[in-house]
Amino acid sequence: MTSPFFKRCAALSIVSLVALGPVLLFVGGAQASYKRTLYQTTRKNAGTPNSTMVKKNSDGVIIAYGNSSITYRAPSTALVTLGDALFQQNCASCHGAEANGVPANGTAGAFPDLVGLGPATINFWVDSGRMPAANPRSIEANRRVPRLTHDQALAVSAWVNSLSPSFPLIPYPHLKNANVADGAALFALNCASCHTIEGDGDALAMSTFSPSLRKIPSIEVAEAIRTGPGNMPRFTGNLSDAQVNDIVKFVTTEIQHPNNPGGFGLGGLGPVAEGFVGLAFGVGVLALVGFWVGERDD
Amino acid sequence: MSDVIDTKRAKKQALGPYGRVGQTLDELDDRLGLARGGRTFMDKIFPDHWSFMLGEIALYSFLILMVTGVFLTLYFIPSSAIVTYHGSYAPLDGQKMTQAFASTVNLSFAVRGGLLMRQMHHWACDIFVGAIVIHMARVFFTGAFRKPRELNWIVGSTLLILAIVNGFLGYSLPDDLVSGTGIRIAYSIILSVPLVGTYLAFFIFGGNFPGTAIIPRFFILHCLIVPLIIIGLVSVHLFLLVRQKHTQFPGNGRTEKNVVGSPMFPVFMAKTTGFLFIVGGITALLGAFAQVNPIWQFGPYDAARISYAVQPDWYMGFLDGALRIWPSWSFHSWGYTIPFEVLIPAVVLPGLIFNLVFVWPMLERKFTKDNEIHHLLDRPSNRPKRTAAGVTMLSFLGMLFIASSTDVLAKFFNLSLNTVLVSMRYLTVIVPILAYPITYRICHEIQALHGGGRRKTPNVVTRSSEGEYSATPSPRYVDDVPSHLEATPVPTYIHEDPEESGDGGVRVVDR
Repeated sequence: MTSPFFKRCAALSIVSLVALGPVLLFVGGAQASYKRTLYQTTRKNAGTPNSTMVKKNSDGVIIAYGNSSITYRAPSTALVTLGDALFQQNCASCHGAEANGVPANGTAGAFPDLVGLGPATINFWVDSGRMPAANPRSIEANRRVPRLTHDQALAVSAWVNSLSPSFPLIPYPHLKNANVADGAALFALNCASCHTIEGDGDALAMSTFSPSLRKIPSIEVAEAIRTGPGNMPRFTGNLSDAQVNDIVKFVTTEIQHPNNPGGFGLGGLGPVAEGFVGLAFGVGVLALVGFWVGERDD
Repeated sequence: MSDVIDTKRAKKQALGPYGRVGQTLDELDDRLGLARGGRTFMDKIFPDHWSFMLGEIALYSFLILMVTGVFLTLYFIPSSAIVTYHGSYAPLDGQKMTQAFASTVNLSFAVRGGLLMRQMHHWACDIFVGAIVIHMARVFFTGAFRKPRELNWIVGSTLLILAIVNGFLGYSLPDDLVSGTGIRIAYSIILSVPLVGTYLAFFIFGGNFPGTAIIPRFFILHCLIVPLIIIGLVSVHLFLLVRQKHTQFPGNGRTEKNVVGSPMFPVFMAKTTGFLFIVGGITALLGAFAQVNPIWQFGPYDAARISYAVQPDWYMGFLDGALRIWPSWSFHSWGYTIPFEVLIPAVVLPGLIFNLVFVWPMLERKFTKDNEIHHLLDRPSNRPKRTAAGVTMLSFLGMLFIASSTDVLAKFFNLSLNTVLVSMRYLTVIVPILAYPITYRICHEIQALHGGGRRKTPNVVTRSSEGEYSATPSPRYVDDVPSHLEATPVPTYIHEDPEESGDGGVRVVDR
């Protein structure tokens, strides 16, 4: 006993569903597209004066970064005098007494101008032993045993910063708050294309190298990400402090102490070392066994 | 009653000389009649030279591949469906990945013995292809491919190609960052084929890269189709080996008409079974102690991610090297692009190399006009042109292989990557050209050596009454069959019926 009214209702509802379906889907899709996914980069909390979550006082000086991942600290101003002396001793022969890249009897532009680079940059180059450079004319300054101690490096960066206070400040990551899995994903997305996925570093074009990450302290990893030394891009706006912290955690744990449950890690060289072992120890040893088993009169 | 002696010894004697086993085998033989063929098989003679064992490494590592591979299929899920990993490996926790990758990580960490099986499978594959290559080199340099064995040479070369292809397919299955890059390169290589490339790539991948079809398709190819073809061709290979009998080195009474060696049973059987266990043992040792392809460190594949310094497994190295060092030539006109920098090194070059390998026996027959049947092997130094040609090809492939690690070389020797790359271009041309005359010369020098290729005999130094010393080489060893190598007598317990001839029109054959 079906009345035309119900039939009409049913037909109307079907038609309206078909008509509205795509609209509903579109609305749902539009909502979904606004949801931030895990790996999406953000400009928040980049630790630079541009970042939106930074709190400043009335004078425009940053008082808080609004996160618990990385604390940025300027080197103590008490170190400025010591830093000046150290700079004149170790750096001024190239970078000039004013740190503007003009040595005493040189021309402008021959060496980098350090004024306004921010304490993190100065601290990274000195703390990693790259500066003072072994050979100022080489294409790359490689990591070596630092000539200056950590405190001396801080002093140098304090003095350079005192010439023209700038950013980024020296980042101190809080690794306890980091997520190593997010760090792994971000590392694969941002870092592995030069440093390799195992963090070993490799040769890039024209005598440049991406350095190995195996023995780098956490502060320097964060500094490198924020300042972009050498050929490395400077990751400021596209990685949040939390993301940098995640990457630092991944580098200082999984890259520097890799999980090798399968036996010897073979130096992380990948298929090159594996092929060598497979051919030398696998096929080679088996061929020797064959030599032992078979006849070898001829 | 006295003739029924119910003792253990009498019962044992009643069973015959081979006991209960022998009786069971007799019963089986009454029904299946395998004794005669089995005896032929057991009496098959295998020459014992050590270089004939190289092919067995390949055969046994293939056995290991099958056993470990079956284990892996129990836990591997060939699916590109995206899942979120929540397993025991913390750095991947919460990451999105394909089910193929997640199940591979899972079988490595959560399945008892899974990682060992995976690593053994990978090492066995490296050994498999390596053993095929050195076996092939042995066959080439000793001339074992000559008439009547050209067909077996072609079957073996096909097996090498299939082994390489299946290795690549299996390497791609975990869908990790490194192997995903390999699939991407394969996709680009297919794209580079003029006219049909795009269609071919879409046909194979079921659409654009990466799609979701490629992992299940590679799985079916890797675990079913290619192994079946390999098993079939291995059977043909071994059947031809038995049918045509083994080659042997000259000397010690060996001629074109005989085969001197140990019988299948018991000598060769013992040797080869022991060798099987040693191959398994070495593979297990490598699997247990040497980490291979740690995919959990690479992470899942994602088209947006890339790792620098990615190399394929060693047997794909020559292709990777050719791709790296080939100059960037390409054709762009009239709206068409032909990327010669991909097409030539990755499609044309391997095609030419493998075709040359296939037709080599025919080429050699044509050039030497040698149509004889050969069962005795050449010493490589006695065939300087062939040996030099083989060394040339191997050095060319070796240079391409080295070129696939330009970045590792540049890093290791602290050189510019560009310098290494350009030097590899020159070396890939120069080294093979130099290899030919050098090898040719060395072969001639070896030929000129006194007693080269024969067992050394002692020199007898005599002192004459005047006090003069003179050295005379003692005579060569007699070249005849040593008595202990005489044919083993046929076991007596198998009775052969005399042949009967039938009447005209009716044929009588033995069962």
